[in-house]
Parts: sequence; C-alpha cells; structure tokens
Amino acid sequence: MGGLDESVKWAWGAGFALQVFICGLLLSRRHFRTLPTFTAFVMANVFQATLLYLIYAQFGLASRTALALAWLSEACILLLRSLATMEILRLALRPYPGIWALGWRLLTVTFCTVILVAVIEAGRNFRWAIALTDRGFHLAFAFALIACLVLIRNYSIPVEPTYKALLGGFCFYSCTMVIANAVGYVLTLRGAPNFESFWQLLTIVTYAIVQGTWAVALWKAAPEHEKGPALLPASIYGQLSPQINDRLGMLNARLSQFWKPEVSRQ
Amino acid sequence: MNLMLILLVSFIAILLFLLVWALRGSGKPAKLEDISSSFGEPGRVHIDYLRQIRQALSHEDQEYLARVAANSLQKRVRRERRRIALAYLSALRQDFERLLQTARIIAVLSPQVDAAQELERLRLTVNFHWRYRIIWASLWAGYLPLPQLNDLSNLMSGFSAQLGAAIKELGERAAAVGEMVSAADRRRIHPV
Repeated sequence: MGGLDESVKWAWGAGFALQVFICGLLLSRRHFRTLPTFTAFVMANVFQATLLYLIYAQFGLASRTALALAWLSEACILLLRSLATMEILRLALRPYPGIWALGWRLLTVTFCTVILVAVIEAGRNFRWAIALTDRGFHLAFAFALIACLVLIRNYSIPVEPTYKALLGGFCFYSCTMVIANAVGYVLTLRGAPNFESFWQLLTIVTYAIVQGTWAVALWKAAPEHEKGPALLPASIYGQLSPQINDRLGMLNARLSQFWKPEVSRQ
Repeated sequence: MNLMLILLVSFIAILLFLLVWALRGSGKPAKLEDISSSFGEPGRVHIDYLRQIRQALSHEDQEYLARVAANSLQKRVRRERRRIALAYLSALRQDFERLLQTARIIAVLSPQVDAAQELERLRLTVNFHWRYRIIWASLWAGYLPLPQLNDLSNLMSGFSAQLGAAIKELGERAAAVGEMVSAADRRRIHPV
C-alpha cells in the first residue's frame, strides 16, 4: 500500500468503515430478508476491499498478479451489482406484473445494446481493452437503469424511498465512473503525471458519498410489503389499449391537418 | 479525442438530469376508480365544444367584418380569434393527455402488457407533442393563417361526437370492471 497517497488511504479507510457499517445495518434492521442479493453485494464489497489490501501489501500496487486479481474481483462485484439492481427493481414493480415484464425487457435490451457497442470499441483497442470495457459496463448500466426509472415515472408507479436511494446511488456512481475513466484515458494518452491519485480519490470519495446515502436510507426498518392494487382481467388491456391508441392516432391525424391546407379545404 | 470526451460528458449530464427527474416523481398508486373518474363528468371532453369554436372562427364572420368594420375592430377580432384558436389547441391537448392517462392506468393495472402497443403509444405521444408545439408557436406568432383552423374544425365536428361517445363507453366499461374486481377482491378471489 506504499504507492498510495495519504488522502487516498484515508478515503479508502473511511469507505471500508462505511461498508462495514452498511453491512451491520442490513443485518440488524433485517433488510437482508427483502434484499438478499444486495446484502451479498455489500458483503462482497467488504471482502474485496480486505482481499485487495492483502494482495497489494503482498505483491505491490503495480504487479501483474495484483492487477489480474483486482480486475477479476471487480468483475464479480459488477455481476453482483447488476443482480442486486434487478432485485430492487423487481421488488419495486412486484405489484405491477405487466410493467415489470416491460421493465426487465427494456433493461436487458438497452444494457445489451450499449455493452455490445462498448465491447466492439474495446476490441479495437487491445491495450486499453479492460479499462474501456469497464467504462462501457458503467455506461450501459447507467443508461439501462435510467431507462427503467423513466419508465416507472412515466406510469406514475410509487417507489419506496429506500429503493430510490439504492438505485440512485448505483446510477450516480456509474455515471461518475464513466467520467473518471474517460478523463483518465485522455490524460494518460497525453502523458499527464499523477492522474492516478486523482482518479482513485474521485472514485473512492464518490462511492463513500453513495454509501453515506445508503446508510441514511437503510437506517429505517425494511419497508413493509404492501398489498398491491387489484388488477384488471388480462382481456381488458387487450380490448381497450388498441382502442385508445386508435383515438390517440385520430387526434394526431387531425392535428396534422394544420399542415395540409389542400386536404382541409376539401 | 476531446470531442469524444465532450460528447460523453454531455451524455452523462443528460443521464444525471433524467435520473433526478425520474427519482423526484412521487407517483401515487393507480386505482381502478381513476379510470372512470377521468371521464366521469359528462361534457368534459373539450372536443365537444367544436361547434362553438367553429362559429367563433367562421370564415363568413371574417368576410362580413372586413366589409363593415373599421380596421381597429378587425385587428381586435383577429387577436380574439387567435386567442380562441390557441385555447382550442390547449383543450385538444388536454383531451389527448386524459386519454393517455387512462391508457397508463389500464397498463399499470394489467397483468400483461403488450410492448408493441406501448411503443405505438409512445410514438403517437411524441408525434402529437412536437406537432402541437410547432402549431402553437406558429399560431401565436401569426404565421399560421386562422382559416385553416376553421377548416380543421369543420373536419373535426363529425369526429367529435364519435370520440366523445367512445370515451364515455371506455369509462363506463372500466367502471364496470372496477366494480367486478372490487367485488371479487372482497370475496378474496383473484380476478385474473
């Protein structure tokens, strides 16, 4: 750990303490019952931080072994993060099965599209493949999650403030990572010195802020599972939705007559 | 490379704006009663007022005024006609929004949703809104001549009764379903 700046070490220590605190909250407030994957993700974070501390102490920051193990553990964390996000979204949309079916499809399609573009870009630049894939993952993650949140907002579906804080934290962190990685990439190409400390500090402090927000949100007891609204029979949607779309189409057609005086004067 | 960075930062700024917008919304749970209450009051569909709007914007009135009235009065009438046209456009938009709201409630309360229908509705909404804004701005600036709106009203008058009846029917059917589901819920029977 000798290669790290003092400020980075302090931030890392504070972030680790927050992770342990959130673990405690998840267990003591019984959030782990409703959020098992999220709990696993936070625990894996604590485990990763401990593991990386030992690896860096043993092999040094710049060794290939440390680098390989760090990225390997990061891949596991990213996978758990995606699963935890799906878990929270599923909890928020559980009373609305139709919208959930729409939501997870939207999430999958948007995520796969953006990550595919990122992987193609990374494939063209082998030297920076891992960093570009990491940036691509965060971009795809943020894009897909925001698309899903916009969908939820569009249908005016109420979401528990705790879940909002968790999802917002994930998304904010991913957006920061995209910026940090992009700026870091440009600065490295230009040969700027000491950008690594800035990059480390930015990402660690951002994650600490996100964890602080999570800690506040998780301080409350786990949200009660409210009984969802009474649903309509499946056939009603099939009957009414096309009719409403027809009406909307007619209103649109009438509005478009403003542009066509030759039609309107018939 | 700098351009790429600027594009990426701009994109992230848009994403963060959308994130805040999406998280700030405090949606209230959709209920079956909301569907019927959307169209519950008779005569609430603005398109029903087309006859009066058409009268206010009639070409004959304009020609008559051009013959007998002073310039100042003609200008005042033109202003008033423009104001009526803008109000009418806003009312059309309200009708559109109300239909859209009903469609959303039905989708939220349905166990299955057809992605194609929802995408079609999204396309119609985007189309309506950009057309509405351009037409509104053109009318406001005096660019779009009012007689076209008059002709449009003629076209729409036949459509008015049809749409009003259909909307009322939708409301009644939704209310009937709501009562049916509520009764099933009281007996703890799942309606689906």
